[in-house]
Order: sequence, then structure tokens, then C-alpha cells
Amino acid sequence: MKTWYLSLAILLSAHAYSMTPTEADSLVSQAARTYADGDASAALLLYDSLATTFASAPLFYNIGNCHFKLNDIPHAILFYERALLLAPGDADVKANLELARQQVVDRVNELPLFTLGSSWSAMRGGRDPDQWARRALWACLITFVVLALAFLIRQRIIRRMLFAGSAIFFLTTLLSIAFAAYRHSEVVNRSAAIIMAPKVDARSEPRTEGTKLFVLHKGTKVNVLKEEDGWSEVQLANGTVGWMPPSTLERI
Amino acid sequence: MALGATAQEIGFTAAVDRNAIATGEYVKLTVTLTNSQDRFDAPSFGGLTTVQGPFENSSFNYVNGRMSSSVARTWVLTATAPGTYTIGPAQVRVGGGVIRTEPITIEVSKSATRPSDPGASQGQNRDPNLFITIALSKNKAYVGEQIIATYTLYSRYSNIELSKYEISKMDGFWAEEIDLGNTSWEDKLQTVNGVQYRVAVLKRQVLFPQKSGTLKIAPFELECLVNRTFFNRGTSLKARSNSVEVNALALPANKPEGFNGAVGELAMSVKADRTTVKANEAIELTLTYSGRGNLKLMQAPELGFPNDFETYDPKVIDRINVNGSGMSGSRAFQYLVIPRHEGDFQLEPIQFSYFDPATGNYRTVDPEQLTISVSPGDGGPSASVQRPSRSDVEVLGKDIRYIHTGDLALRTKGHHLFGSLPWIAGIATPPLAFVLFLGWRRKQEADEMDVSGTRRKRADRVARKRLNEAEQALRSSDRNAFYDALGKALHGYLGDKFGLGPAETTSQSIRLHLASSDGGTELADRFVALMEACDMARYAPVEDRPRQQLYDEAASLIGRTEQLMRA
Repeated sequence: MKTWYLSLAILLSAHAYSMTPTEADSLVSQAARTYADGDASAALLLYDSLATTFASAPLFYNIGNCHFKLNDIPHAILFYERALLLAPGDADVKANLELARQQVVDRVNELPLFTLGSSWSAMRGGRDPDQWARRALWACLITFVVLALAFLIRQRIIRRMLFAGSAIFFLTTLLSIAFAAYRHSEVVNRSAAIIMAPKVDARSEPRTEGTKLFVLHKGTKVNVLKEEDGWSEVQLANGTVGWMPPSTLERI
Repeated sequence: MALGATAQEIGFTAAVDRNAIATGEYVKLTVTLTNSQDRFDAPSFGGLTTVQGPFENSSFNYVNGRMSSSVARTWVLTATAPGTYTIGPAQVRVGGGVIRTEPITIEVSKSATRPSDPGASQGQNRDPNLFITIALSKNKAYVGEQIIATYTLYSRYSNIELSKYEISKMDGFWAEEIDLGNTSWEDKLQTVNGVQYRVAVLKRQVLFPQKSGTLKIAPFELECLVNRTFFNRGTSLKARSNSVEVNALALPANKPEGFNGAVGELAMSVKADRTTVKANEAIELTLTYSGRGNLKLMQAPELGFPNDFETYDPKVIDRINVNGSGMSGSRAFQYLVIPRHEGDFQLEPIQFSYFDPATGNYRTVDPEQLTISVSPGDGGPSASVQRPSRSDVEVLGKDIRYIHTGDLALRTKGHHLFGSLPWIAGIATPPLAFVLFLGWRRKQEADEMDVSGTRRKRADRVARKRLNEAEQALRSSDRNAFYDALGKALHGYLGDKFGLGPAETTSQSIRLHLASSDGGTELADRFVALMEACDMARYAPVEDRPRQQLYDEAASLIGRTEQLMRA
């Protein structure tokens, strides 16, 4: 069974690098050097080339930083949000996102980043989006190993303890799977989007003749409810709903 | 100013009490001739008018048998217009010769208000018998320079009661009252324009102009009751002073560092009561400003103590006199400082600058630098019993945090562990493996069950084989072999039948296993009795029953048990 897991791990890691690891590593260090020299646009090019094949919270965070330094606040917010999606608890991402949001024109009542309980952030997973999926694997393995031991051992007290432990691990497994599923849906079904156009009119209907309901400016975060006939129905954090062209937004 | 053309033993001098006056002021000219009885004439006064005099004064002295004499004539002169006046030489003929005094020059300046010239700028509607003057020591002063204002009452009434003061407004001035004691009439009468008045100084003030420009002192008003007698209620009169103006000059623009508005003639000193202390011991640091000037306006300077010093607000110790010559004395600031850590500390030198109106320049005083060496206190190397007040970190700017360098934990885009085939396999494997484990375990258990079953099935056959051995031993009269085979047959049979080990076929366990079946108890008792008889015969030379009987008993017991178990 152990060898099986090992081969699984090897399979996973081999799967992750279609670009060779050394290639990616050299790109990363080169980009970091460029950024340190103050050339954010060159660093952004390098990070963007990495982002075509890879995704990770630190990568998105760095891209966000490059955009911020180039004074492209909507893109900075977009990438910080992407990083936050993968690593909900990351303090650096939160700090920079907070700073970037201060430069957004629209002030929609959004929950402040730092008042959310840190324990909840920790529950949702730190910098590793696969954390809960991995925990589920381990918990599942331990559950059944302990259960098997319980069948093999004759001493009654130890046997009972093993059964109890196995039950606890079984619950942990179920919880982990639930969290992993939640996180997965969060990452996959990305309904949030950032306004990229300098100014967008939100209309009451999916056509240009619709009544102008409100005006949004670049950098504002919206929730995309549905897409229809080249129009997106978006919802603001305060519940207001309106239609706007999808070209004006970018999904997180 | 006394110069004499002198002959042998004869002196001839002309002197004035001062040679710079304002219009309306008096100058006293005294011409003195010693050791001569000759008469001399008045000199020409060069335009000055005689107010009084001449008065003559003669004196004779005997000293050590020698006689000396002198004659002095005194004139009181005044000028009505400003300018330069020259008092000509006085002459005296002595023994055929002529002795002349030196001419004396008198400078007469224009002065609007001098106490001795109240008429020069008084308002027209003044009661000539009762008025007040405000006299200033100078009409032109720098901002912060002190001016002495004297308020004088002139009166020709005999009985006068002062009732109500009205303090004149002091816009643009900071005023300090000079304590005069009780207001009283001066002994001497003063003559103004030939009229004699009784004079009283009502009050004196030291004034410090606070802004530049023409500053006006509003008139001073006073209500008096005059001619009050026992029979007369008197007349109420209002005495009003002139209003005077001061031309306040702005201080030059090139203010040096450390200038805080001090004007006058000042000095500064810094003293510490000790310069070597232990940590947490107090030092008294005294900063003293002294001299003449606006001392009362001096503020405690910020002393640049090191952060490790605890400082308290300074105590102000004033020794300031305000009198006719203005404000003078000293103001000291006493700082209590407590160094909290050991080390050598150098206090920042305190810059002090002031404006000297006499020269019209700024002056800077540099005090010596103070070094305080602090040795470790009694409470350890650095007793931080009471930390100096802590302050928040000052946020100077805001910027994003730096990028992540090093490992970026890259993973292929769109790849998620959850829901992927390897993950599902990983989750499914342990339960599947457990099911396999359970199956293996069940088979093992079944095999174990099989072992005891075979034993039970074969128990009868094995027992009969052993009984045959016993029968052979019975025939060959081999006593030991017989009992051995018989015991083995019984023990083996029961062990196989009930799945017991060789040591477990005790009477108790036999009874336990057989008791469940019908008639089992009696059977068990017979088994036990037979096995005991066998054991007795094997280990002791006693045979209370014949071997054949024992053999038959064993065969019948095994047969009965087989029947019982099968039923």
C-alpha cells in the first residue's frame, strides 16, 4: 500500500511540470532579480510567461505586485484576488490587496479583509489550495490502517481504543472531503470579477437601451450571476444587480 | 565737564550738571572761583534763557593752618527750541591777568513730553490747575526693549482726593508695574511756564513694545475731588493726561538661531549640580538668564536630552526687580533629569541669542557643553524600572509588500488534486484494501475452525489406536506401556474432542465441557476417576483394579461419549 502512495506522489509531481522544473526555476529567479532592480514591466513579462502554464498563490501575488508598481490597479487587484482565492489566509496578499483597494473609486460596502476570523482563513487553507484534498487522503489511510489493527489485536482495551481512533479519523476524513469539495468549488466556479474598463454603465436589461442603473469604475469587484447574449449580470457586494458587457470585466 | 584755566593756587571753573537736555528741561550752570576775592561776570548764555539765578554761595575753610576760599554762582537755564547752544567763557581779572573758563556746549533735543515740560504737547482743553502727564524714557524703541513710562499729577489745588483711576489701554505693549509704595506729593514744587505746581508721581510702568510701528498709549484719566473741606463737599474734576506715541522699531531680519525674542543686555549660564551620577539618580540642571531686559517673557527652552533621560517640567525661579531703571535680575529654569541607563551623555549645547538695543545687533551666547557620565545604578546594569515614554512607530509612507522570492510552489494551471483520478484512487484504496483484509482474516479464522473440527472427528480413531496399543501391552504384561497408552488415549481423546491442549485436560475442564450434555456429569466423573486410577498406577506401585477392567471401562467411556456427542 505504501509503494502505491509513493507512486501516486511521483505521478502527481511529474504531472505538475510540463515545463521542466529547472526552466521554471530559472525564470522565477530571473523575474525576482528584475523586480528587485526596479524593472516591474520586465518582471511582469517573465511572470506572465510562467502564468501561461502554472498557477500558484505566490506567482499571482508577484504578478499583482508588478501591476501595482506599474500603476495598473485593476490588474493588481485581479491578481491579488486570484492569489487570495488559492491562499485565503495569506497576510501579504491581504495587505497589498487592502492597499490596492484604497485606490479604487467606487466604495461598495465590502467586508474588510482583516476582520474575517483568522481561524476561518486557516480552515479554508493557507497557501496550498490542495491542502484539504491531501488531508482527506491521509485521514482516509489512517482510518483504515487503525481499523485493520483493531481487528488484529486481541487485547480488549487496546482494541476498543483503536476502534474509537478509527472512528475519529473517519469523521476527519469526511470533514476533509467536505472542505476540499468546498474549496474546489470556490476555486473552479469563479463567479467574482474585477471591472477593467475605466468606467462602465450598469443597465437594467441586457441591451444598450436599458435604463442606466449605476456606474462602476475600474478595480471594483463584482459577482457575475449569469451570462446571456453577450451580457453579464453582475451583483455588487451590497446586493445591487445590473447588466454590463463581459468585455469590461475579468473573472478572478 | 570741569575745566579750569588755573593760576597759582587760584582756580576758576565753569560746570553744568548735564549738557544734553530736552526742550523745557533745566540745566544748572555753576561757575566757581577759588582762592580769589575778585568778582566775575556772568558768561553769555548763547540763547539759553535764565530760569533762576544767579545764586551765590561762598565758603571758607581752614585746613592745617591754611585758608582756602571759594565763590560759586549758579544759574538755572533752559531752552525753548531744540538746537546746539554754547555757553560762552566766563572771565575774571586776577592780579592784572585774565582767566577764562572753557566754553560749554549744550545739546537741546526735541522732546514732546518731559515731566518738566508738561505744556509742550498738552491738549488745549486742559484744566491748567490739574493735569497729568505721561513721560517716556524714550520715544523710539525696538520691539521688546523696555521703556519706562511715568505718570505724574500736577496740581495747584490745596485739598485733593483721588477717587478713580482709569488704567490706560496698553495696546501693543506688555506692561509691568513698578511698585512705588504710597503715592505722595513730592517735597519740591515744580514750575511750569512760570507757574508752580505740586507734583506727585502716580505710577510707573515698564513697557515692552510687542509689535513694530507707531504704538499709542491712550490717555490716562483720573477723577479727583478738590477743595474738600469740612464745610465744602468739594468739586469733582477729571484729570486727563496727554496721549503719547512710541515708535517701535522692528528687530533686524537676520535673526540668529536660538533667538526667542529676548531683548536687552542678557547672559545665560547652564549648571548641573553634578555631572557624575549613578543611573536612576536625579540631576538638577539649572539654566539661568540674567541681566536687563524682558526677563519675564523668557520661556523654558527645549533641552535636547538623550532619550534615556527622564525629564520633568522645569521649575521657574525668578529674581526679577522692576524699578525705575527697568526690569533686571535673573530667571532660572531648574530641570530635574533622571538618567535611566549608564553611559557618557553629551547634552546638546543650548543656543541663546538676544537683541542688544544699545548696539542694534543680535548677540549669541554659547554655553559650554555639558557632559554627564552615568555609572550603572544599584538596580543592575540598566534598571528599566520606568521606561521613558514609548511612542508609536511613525508610519512615513505606505507601499505594497515585497514579492515572494524563492519557491513559488508552482503547479500546472487548471490542475486540482480534489476530484482528480489519482485522488479518487487514493481515497478509494484504503477502504478497498480493508475489505480485502477482512476477507483474508475471515478465511484465516475458518481455517482455524477447521483444525479443531478435524481433531474432533479424528478423536475416536486416535483413541482406538491407542487403546489397541494398550491391549497389546496388556497381553504382553508390560505394565508401564499399558498405563502410558491408556492415559494417552484418555487425555488425547478428550483434548481432541474439546479442542484442548495437553495441559488443559484437567478434571475441571472435563466437567465443564461435558456438563452441557445429558448425563455428561456422570460421564465426566467416571472419566476423571479412570484417569486418576491410571495416574496412580503409573507413578505408584499400587493397582487396586485389574488392568482388563480399566481397559474395558476406557473403551466403554469413549464409546458412550461418541454416542452422546453425536446425539
